Parts: sequence; C-alpha cells; structure tokens
Amino acid sequence: MAVRGMAGALSACVLLVLAGPALAAFDYGKFPGTTVKVKLIGGTQYEKLYTRIPEWEKLTGAKIEIVSSKNYFDLDREIKQDIAGGTINWCVASNHTSFAPQYGDIYIDLKEKIPADELALYVPGTLQSSEIDGRLVQLPRVTDVSNLYYNKRVYDDPKVRDAYKARFGKALAPPATYDEFKQQAIFLANPPNLYGTAFAGKDEGMTGRFMEILRANGGDMFDKDWNPTFNSPEGVAALQWFVDLYNAKAVPAGTVNYTWDDIGQAFAAGTTAVDLDWPGFAAFYNDKSKSKIAGDVGFAVAPTGSAGKRGGWSGSHSFSVSKACPTPDAAVSFVVFMTNDESEMMEAEAGNLPTRTKVFADVVAKFKADGNAYMADMFQTWQTSLAEARTPPLVPQWIEVSNVVWPQLQAAIVGQKTPKEALDKAAADARAILQDAGLLK
Amino acid sequence: MSLLSSPRAAPYLLLLPAILVILAVVAVPLGVSLWSSFTPYNLTRPATLYTFIGWRNYQRLMQEPDFWWAFGRTLVFVTVTLNLELVLGLGLALLVNRITAGQRVLRTIMMFPMMFSPILVGFQFKYIFNDAVGLVNNALFDLGLIREPIPWLVEGTLANIAVMTAEVWMSTSVFAILLLAGLLALPKEPMEAAKVDGCGPVQVFRHITLPFLMPFIFIAMTIRSLDVARAYDMVRIMTNGGPAGRTELLWTLMARIGYQNSQMGMANAMGYVSILTSILFTVYFYRRLVAARRYMEGVE
Repeated sequence: MAVRGMAGALSACVLLVLAGPALAAFDYGKFPGTTVKVKLIGGTQYEKLYTRIPEWEKLTGAKIEIVSSKNYFDLDREIKQDIAGGTINWCVASNHTSFAPQYGDIYIDLKEKIPADELALYVPGTLQSSEIDGRLVQLPRVTDVSNLYYNKRVYDDPKVRDAYKARFGKALAPPATYDEFKQQAIFLANPPNLYGTAFAGKDEGMTGRFMEILRANGGDMFDKDWNPTFNSPEGVAALQWFVDLYNAKAVPAGTVNYTWDDIGQAFAAGTTAVDLDWPGFAAFYNDKSKSKIAGDVGFAVAPTGSAGKRGGWSGSHSFSVSKACPTPDAAVSFVVFMTNDESEMMEAEAGNLPTRTKVFADVVAKFKADGNAYMADMFQTWQTSLAEARTPPLVPQWIEVSNVVWPQLQAAIVGQKTPKEALDKAAADARAILQDAGLLK
Repeated sequence: MSLLSSPRAAPYLLLLPAILVILAVVAVPLGVSLWSSFTPYNLTRPATLYTFIGWRNYQRLMQEPDFWWAFGRTLVFVTVTLNLELVLGLGLALLVNRITAGQRVLRTIMMFPMMFSPILVGFQFKYIFNDAVGLVNNALFDLGLIREPIPWLVEGTLANIAVMTAEVWMSTSVFAILLLAGLLALPKEPMEAAKVDGCGPVQVFRHITLPFLMPFIFIAMTIRSLDVARAYDMVRIMTNGGPAGRTELLWTLMARIGYQNSQMGMANAMGYVSILTSILFTVYFYRRLVAARRYMEGVE
C-alpha cells in the first residue's frame, strides 16, 4: 500500500513536473515608467480589442502610446516610409501574413522572447505561417480563411429546387466543387435582381481568389525554384472559371472593380445567391438592421477543385515587435497579452477566428450555451477549412507579383485577352520581378 | 567681408532665408527624387538608394507599353476634362454674372463640390455609376430605358467617361469662380460702346468679353492643369485604374509602383516624365497668357 502510495505520489510529481511548463502562466512582467509606442490597425472591428490596453497597463505598470491607427494599406505605406527614412522609433506594429515578408529584418524573432510552452497554445499551422525564414516575426491575432455563405431563401425555394432537380437531376445543395459552384451560380442568376455570386475583381483579392482555385486544381503560383507556374493548364482552367461566370452574366459586370466590402454589401442586400467569403462577415449578414437576409444565411465549406483539394487562401492579422524597440520585454509582454485567451475570446465573440487552439472550442461552447447556433455553426465550418489553408508565397515580392497578375486576370475576364495569353504575360512580368530580386536566375 | 557689406549684397542677404527655405522644402526633395530615378531604390531596402544604374529605369519605361498607355490616357484625361471644365465653368460664370439677386448664395453653392475631399467624390461617383445598385442604372431601369444594367465602370469608354464626369463635377466650380472674378472685373465702357455701335450679345461676347477673360482662362488652365493630379484619390476609389488598366492614369500607376510595390526609383522616373509633361503644359498656357495680355494691351 505504502509502495503503491509512494509510486502514486511519484507519478503525480513526475506528471506535475512534465505538465509544469504547460500549466505555467505567461509572466507579463513589471515595467513601471516604461512607455511602449505602438502602430495599430484601426477600424471598428479591430478596436474593441484595444479596450484591453488599460488592463495590461495596470498589470505591468507600463503605458501604451498609440502613435498611429490606420487601415492596413495606409499602415503598410507608413511602415515602408519609416524603413526608408530610418525612423522606426516605435515598438509594436500591427502586421499581416501577406505584408510581413516585405519588411526585411525590422522585427525581432519572437521565439527568442516567448517561451515555447506559451507558443504551443497557438494553432500550430497559423504560427508556422507567421514565420519568415524560420523567424517568428509576428504573433497571430485573428485568422482569415474563406468558406461559403449561401442565401437560404434561394436555396430553400421549392420552385428553384424543383427546376434545378429537373435540369441537373440532382438536389440543390451548397456546391461541393468549383464546377458545381459555377453551374449553380449560372443557374440561379436572374440579373439584375439576383446574381449567382460575385468575386473580388481587383488588387490582391483577385490574385488570391485565382490562387485559391489554381491550388484546388492541383497547380501553384511557383515551383520550388521560384519559376512562375500559374500559366499552367490548371491556371488556365482556374481563370476560365471566372471568365465563364462573367460571360454568363452570373456575376455583376462591376465585380471586376469589387472588393470585399462591395461583395459583402451585395450578399447582405440579397442580390447574390452564394458568396465565398471571410468569417468576419457572418455577424454582419445576420444583423437585421444591416442585412436583408438576416436569419436566412447558411454556411458550407469552400468547394474543392479538379484535384479534389481545397485551395484555402489564408492569412492572419498579427502583432510584431521592432528591433529598434528600447524595451522589447515590455513590447513582447504587450503582444502576448493582446493575443492571450481572454483577448482571443473577445475577438472570437465578435466573429473573428481565434489563433489559439483552446479558444475555438471555448467560443463554440459559449455560442451553443447562449443558444446562438448560427455563430457556433460558422466557427465549426470555418475551422474545418483552416486545416487545408495555405498562405500566399511568403516572399517580399509577393505583393509586387500580385500587382502584375491581377490586371492580366481582369483582361481575360473582360474579354481583352484569352486566359492563356493573359497568364503568359503575367508570368513573364512575374519572372522579371523575381529575377530582379535575385530569387530566380 | 567687403562683399557682404556691399550695398549690392543687401537684397541677396535679405532674400537668403527665403532661398534657404525654398531649397530645403523644394529643391532638396526634387534633387533626391531625381537622383533616386537613376537608382533601383526600393522603400524597404534603403541601401538601394546608393546604387547608380544610369538611365535603366527610363529605358525600361520607354519599352513598357502599359506606361505609354497610361501616359496617353493621362493626356486625354487632362485635355478633355480641362476643356469641359472651361466650357461649363464659363457657362456657369456667365449665368451667375447675369443674376442680380442671390448671387452670393449661388456663388457659395457653386463652391460646394470644391469642399469635398476627392476620396469622398470617388465613393460618391462609384456608387452613382455602380452597375448593380447605382443611381444612374436604377434611374434608367425605372424609366424603362434599359433592361440590363450598364457596366459604367467596366466598359473602357464608359469607365473613362465616368471618371471624367466625377472630375468635371468636382472642379468645374474652380473655373466658374475664377472666370466670375474676371467677369466682375470687366470694364463696362467697351461693352456699352459696342452696344451703342449695334453689336449683338454674341458679338459683344466674342469680341469684348472673351478677349478680356482670356488671361483669367489661361491662369485657370495653368492652375488646373497642375492641380488635376488631385484626381488620383478619386480614380483610385472609383476604378483603381482598372479593369484591365482601362482607366489607368500616370498617377495611379506611379502610386502602385512606388508605394505598393516599393519601387520608388522607378516611380520617380515616371514622376519625372510626368513633371516634364506638366511643365510643357504650363509653358504652353503661360505663352498663351502672355499673348492674351499683349492682345488686351493692344485693345486698351
């Protein structure tokens, strides 16, 4: 008995020692008299988190000075100007997976400052996507991946369902493949009152959607040596998908000028049947004061391409700590606090995908307990897609390459060029950019 | 020492602070941007500012069809909008000048579009011309004039017309205000003399009013030809130069290259081509202005 008791106690001790690091809470430290200058992304959906700043200030005795609060594109320009002018005098900046590779080595490797057991609490794939050349230059705050929203009023309409069954011999259900997506979008379109869908037709939004379908078809943007490969047959098929939708008038003609807000507004207005979009729109679509389809929004995972894969184009909003920061420990404490379980829960309750594993389960449980099956369903659907999600290529030239790709995609969509011609021109331009950068000989 | 105390040096010494300020705020940035146009300067790699590559950026530009399309489109954009703004502004100024009551209120109303930020004007016209929810298409549908939405911001010619419409709406009042000032300063005697001699309103306008207004017109043209670059924000919001580069102007292309792609050296090379074009426009308008003033002196 005594031996068993000892063995039991020893086992418990061993377990405690082993479990110790995982259970240890992150030490936010004390930094009285320290002021941490930060540049943060601004905007309604982002600023709720900043109401936690006073809590961190009280906890650590430090102060936060927000020196800039802008949208990502303006913040990106400002940071580039700071790099150019050698005027980085701030400690923390909002960052994004797509933007991070451009900034060279201005940010510290957070792996050197944050204990591994704390980092283990973040979604592993998301954390890995936050690395550049093996350095963790950003701590992810919320993640984006797209899935399908569909208008149940259209999909549940008996007349529409019967007509679809009669035409295709199959029950109308949210599309499982991109071919089915196209078929349904064309079938359901009844312009100008209802379009099948809409897509982001410019900027990185266009390049990203193309990349998503290209990857779902089994292709990719570059090979392992950085040769552009998106003008492959898989790429041509991906671009043809957009061309077919456009030619069939299943999308608004103006979709080539649309960005996310335009698409969101169109879906909320009930003028599109199905929408491949981000998680952040879920709450907006179900808000009766803003959306005409509130109460009738369905979710489904993103379709697969001809390779049977999902191309999930994903990325995370994040925080980075600059090398120029005179008080890096305080800055690291701040970014961990802003992405800890409580902060993540606050963001998740607003409809954003958290970057800590535990919070996914917690927020779904909370929504279920609150009887909010709609939001619980959204989180479960989006979490499924995250497993297969991939970021854009994490090289500094990505945005530059994207800027030569999307105008060519547009040219094919509006009928100025064939998909092959457009992609060949984009590939040639991308090749020149990568050669100039020394990535490609 | 004697040189500095010389009476001849006094004006230069007095002007020195102004010269230094101008050098600091104008000449130095211009010099740096000119230098950077001969480098592969990338915003995120500051050291590239010190790599001299000669005319390479300019040579690339010369061979780049997208640049020349944007250049040509910019010339058309500036020419068409300036002339439309002139004609409409002149018409507005003549109408307001004839009104005796409420002229001040009208002048204030006329200035409203100038008070909007170009970004707001961009959003406003983006939704006016939106193919799905836009005001224009909705009105045409309600009137039964169309059965399918017109893709105003997509089809090449229509998209350029839409962008020009926004620019003309925003800036016609600049012409109107400047020309109205000219009309208010117009001496009455020559017009009364012409009327006594039996000239009709068209003849009075053609031979007296218009020649008197010409210096004001050319001043307005000079200011506006330089100022039209304010349309950047508006075009960026409405079409961002697209689709497929159909509305790409020099300044949307420059902003994309310089700020989004960080290729500031290349963007500055484009900027210098653009500056040279602006200088040509300015020189042309100044010459016309001087000619108009000579004509006026002859008349007087």
